[in-house]
Amino acid sequence: MEFHGCEFRAELYYDRECQIWVRKEDDGTLTVGMTDISQSIAGKILHVRVRRPGTRRPKGKPVATIESGKWAGPVPNIFDCVIVHANEDVLEDPNLLNIEPYEAWIARVQPVAPVDVALQEMVTGDAAFALYGERCVRDDIHCERGMR
Amino acid sequence: MSSKYLEDQEEKTVVIVMTSGPSTPHRCATPFYLGALLSSMDAEVKIFCTMEAVKLMEQGTPENLSAMAGGKRIIDFIRDAKNAGVELHVCRPALPGYELVPQQLIPEVDSVASAGDLADLILSADRLLFF
Repeated sequence: MEFHGCEFRAELYYDRECQIWVRKEDDGTLTVGMTDISQSIAGKILHVRVRRPGTRRPKGKPVATIESGKWAGPVPNIFDCVIVHANEDVLEDPNLLNIEPYEAWIARVQPVAPVDVALQEMVTGDAAFALYGERCVRDDIHCERGMR
Repeated sequence: MSSKYLEDQEEKTVVIVMTSGPSTPHRCATPFYLGALLSSMDAEVKIFCTMEAVKLMEQGTPENLSAMAGGKRIIDFIRDAKNAGVELHVCRPALPGYELVPQQLIPEVDSVASAGDLADLILSADRLLFF
């Protein structure tokens, strides 16, 4: 699915600003990445730094920081969690986030609360797609995928 | 130079004193970019605009100014910093010199503060940067 050229995957969970996506894993962890909207706003991403594995990150404290030539900021955190590990491929080559934002995940985290409780403030499916479209319209966002 | 991992450090307060303004647009983006990054790393960041930087806070100025030709607007750097948690303060005593009143400032400004407020910030901050 797409909106303004921004790819959307209905099976994932999103924050209400559609900055990040989260995927449930079989082992009870959650995988976190940035959306097509976010990578388009950031432009070519030059640096990604993730909190060291084992670090607890309360709700609101970023999981990682992102730097591009024109944007610097957090990878927001919607729920209390502990960093399990970072995607070493992305740390080595941050541009992967521009090329495949839904494959190039950033970090895997263990929520402190049960998974379904942790995801209570996130949206998925049709409700998420509606928010995704609203954000694209409100901020006039049109996505472009990064190239090597 | 930097590690791929962010260390879990004690939270720090950082004050950025911004004096650059529209006459030097190439100096006007970095303080907000750095502020956003520091805030994302759990620092409590306050940007205090004084001298010509108060002119940068006038409605209509950052919306029409870029650090480089055709580049991202300064207002968008300011908004990125705000979204990351940065507080933005403007020096009240500097406003008359630029014929400004508080009502003319952009809504992103958190407060119009006194020189004494800046002095308190300087004395209490863990890190102090001037641009």
